[in-house]
Amino acid sequence: MGTAGRVEQYTLDNGLRLVTAPASTGQVASVNLWYGVGSRHEVTGRTGFAHLFEHLMFQGSGNVTKGEHFDVVERLGGDINASTSTDRTNYYETVPTHALDTVLWLEADRLATLREGMTQEVLDNQRDVVKNERRQRYDNQPYGTALERILRLAYPEGHPYHHSTIGSMADLDAADLDYVKSFHKAHYGPDNCVLTIVSDLESEDVLARVEKFFGGIPAREDLPETPDPTLRAPLGGPVRDAVTETVPAAGVFIGFRVPSYGERGHDAAQLAAAVLGQGQGSRLYRSLVVDRPIAADDGGGSADILPFRYTDSLLLVNMLAREGVEGDVLEQAIREEVAKLANGVTDEELDRARAVLERDHLHSIASPSGLADTIGSCTQLLGDPELAFTWPERWADITAEEVRAAAANLLGEDNMLVVRFDPEPETAAETLQAEAEADAAAQAQQA
Amino acid sequence: MQNRPDLGAPASFTFPKPQRITVGGGTIVALDVPGQQLASLRLVHPFGGAVEPLDAMGVSALTSEALEDGPGGNSSLAPALERHGAEWIARVNWDGFITGLDAPTNRLGEAVHLFADAVRNPALNPDDVVRRREQLLERFWLDASSASTLAMRSLGGQLFTGRYATPLAGGPVKLADISPETVARFHADSIASVAGTLVVVGDLANVDLEELGRIVFGDAAPAPERPVTEHAPPPGDLPRVLIVDRPGSVQSALVIAHRAPSRSQVDLPRAEGIGEILGGMFTSRLNMELRERLGYTYGAGSRFDLRRDSGVFFMSTQVEAGTTAHSVTSSLEQVNKLRDQGVTEDELSTVRESNTVGLPVAYSTARAMAGALVDMVVHDLPDDNVDRIRAGYEKLTAEDLNSAAVEYLRPEEAVVVVVGDADSLREPLAKTGVGPVEVRSPESLWS
Repeated sequence: MGTAGRVEQYTLDNGLRLVTAPASTGQVASVNLWYGVGSRHEVTGRTGFAHLFEHLMFQGSGNVTKGEHFDVVERLGGDINASTSTDRTNYYETVPTHALDTVLWLEADRLATLREGMTQEVLDNQRDVVKNERRQRYDNQPYGTALERILRLAYPEGHPYHHSTIGSMADLDAADLDYVKSFHKAHYGPDNCVLTIVSDLESEDVLARVEKFFGGIPAREDLPETPDPTLRAPLGGPVRDAVTETVPAAGVFIGFRVPSYGERGHDAAQLAAAVLGQGQGSRLYRSLVVDRPIAADDGGGSADILPFRYTDSLLLVNMLAREGVEGDVLEQAIREEVAKLANGVTDEELDRARAVLERDHLHSIASPSGLADTIGSCTQLLGDPELAFTWPERWADITAEEVRAAAANLLGEDNMLVVRFDPEPETAAETLQAEAEADAAAQAQQA
Repeated sequence: MQNRPDLGAPASFTFPKPQRITVGGGTIVALDVPGQQLASLRLVHPFGGAVEPLDAMGVSALTSEALEDGPGGNSSLAPALERHGAEWIARVNWDGFITGLDAPTNRLGEAVHLFADAVRNPALNPDDVVRRREQLLERFWLDASSASTLAMRSLGGQLFTGRYATPLAGGPVKLADISPETVARFHADSIASVAGTLVVVGDLANVDLEELGRIVFGDAAPAPERPVTEHAPPPGDLPRVLIVDRPGSVQSALVIAHRAPSRSQVDLPRAEGIGEILGGMFTSRLNMELRERLGYTYGAGSRFDLRRDSGVFFMSTQVEAGTTAHSVTSSLEQVNKLRDQGVTEDELSTVRESNTVGLPVAYSTARAMAGALVDMVVHDLPDDNVDRIRAGYEKLTAEDLNSAAVEYLRPEEAVVVVVGDADSLREPLAKTGVGPVEVRSPESLWS
């Protein structure tokens, strides 16, 4: 890649890590802050808090009014948003280059003075917004609670990855203003942040600007305790959660614990997932969508890894049944395909898997904001920004035998969790009523 | 804290001028972006859903899917491309049939031969076409199990008769009538024998565009003139409310929509400018009211869907079920307020600035630039279209936007589509007095 080797790293006296890299298109600056705080830092009774907090970061700080942060960036035609995961919270903006200082100032202001801008009113409002986010993404979506169910099976009660990032309605209700302020104090310091800037400015120039706006913000005095993510026992599978509710077709979600993000074993598992379910040349697509065909066409995206840095990641397989296909039939077929992987993969399959993963990686760094995000990730989680450019090399020397061994070791039933959704059985009366309505509508349209 | 920095002067931005090359019966429109390793190719054929005959609704969507089976049939195309790290792109909209490829520039040559063969000489085996058709039919209801998707799909029949009344892919009924022979005929007449226009964006230092054109166009003929299509409104009082019953929904999906002029008829900066102020940004009126003040939703917005021969304006959101009626009246109040009282100076400057100084952000990826070029091809726009639109925004006045509010926002002609629990919504929605309320089951909407 043309930009590899042109990444610069600096650490300010207050611990803030800055990474700079050149953009492949001109006149823009992408700013991306990865704070090392996520839902893994939440304690029982406070789930969903890291994410609720992310919302509050847009609600005003010492020198910025509610909504002003969005307003300033949108006025510049910029992109702006944030996201929260188990392992980190990130905030990002892409703006025309002349606005870089303004964005740095906005970010510095909420890092240094958010607590001064926080009120009960904005907390109440954003709590309602987040509850509606939960409804929209989880409760009012078919299969929407799958991830929560998967995490509950994968990690034991009390483990920091046992709960989802969105949290529970009850815990969201319990959030109070004092806790908001203490959370900011505990986790939001320059020493817990990687700031990545992708632009066409010289890196020394960028450093000077960052020093100016962030240099005076003190590091945290007291570091919070991080809940222990150690897994003390194997999964003890197969473990299972079966749900019957209003879904359009049976849905099968199968998960396996695999090594954490950054380990070589994780990369081998990722190749296994790609052989299994990434792209239309993948085994699950060929076998269950094209050949048999009993699974709904998902375009070739039935297996992937949910990457976690500080505990075991999860390899997840998900397919929906075709009309008239029982959930049991689909589940059995998927499990058979997964099990076959332990018999070995061909070099041709592995080459295809590498090419698909490399293509996706290139996509992820093709935009300035995507590149900044990937660099932030590689720096915050693995301490090496160059990995953003060289990541595909990690897959290059993993052999077919390593992928086979990973499958044999990790994808067995003792390490398996299954979440199954099945539609409620339709009563005869409902069937008749639906048919009558359809008939009536057809007649009305003909008339 | 540092004081808020002054914004410097923005650098002037000019959209790069594409090269246009005629090769045989086709035209190449190319942009060289040095350093952009992932090239985007898009082949545009002027045959979208709008020009489909009423007895072949969905034929372009089904053909687009069936091309993925490749010259060898049996879903062989994507796996072949995957080995080159290339991604097949196939998309049908109302005005165009678009195929394409995203591929690393160093592997473009090999991938393009596969691409051309896939577009010109697909097997279109009847078994494959039937399998694709059945999958599409089933996917219709899988996708429509999401409330927001169902709401959007319900809209066409409320605003149009003719082709636009049925969803783009033919809906759950009409598509079943499309035979493999119909697909083969459509492909032979409209795709294989028509050269089309090829958009290429990426680092083109080592790409021979003429050769690319010879491979992709072969001896195919220039595209014929597109017929103009008519789309009359259906009968019924306006405004009115349609509840699509989704029992037990904890949120309601709302779409408030009316007809709008076509892409060539609207004054784009005025129309899109007023649309942005109402609902195109985070800080727009709808989102500030429904999300940031009332806390009813995770987000609310609005936009125009402008086609070659017609258009739609719609507002959309998903709200907590109990707030549905108030969300409808609040949305309409926001429109009326904008029409009655006009825009603020601040809103005017936001729209003006975001669409001028923000252009480098909007076009910071090869994909985004390819999208702009495809838009130019589909709508017969000049090569300097982006700059012309920018000039339009630069001279926009408050009066321009105020007149646009009255001209383009027509709440008195709106249909309110609500996907949610009809038993609990019917009465409160009737009480709003917006208009007559009709309840339908999803199954009865298409025949």
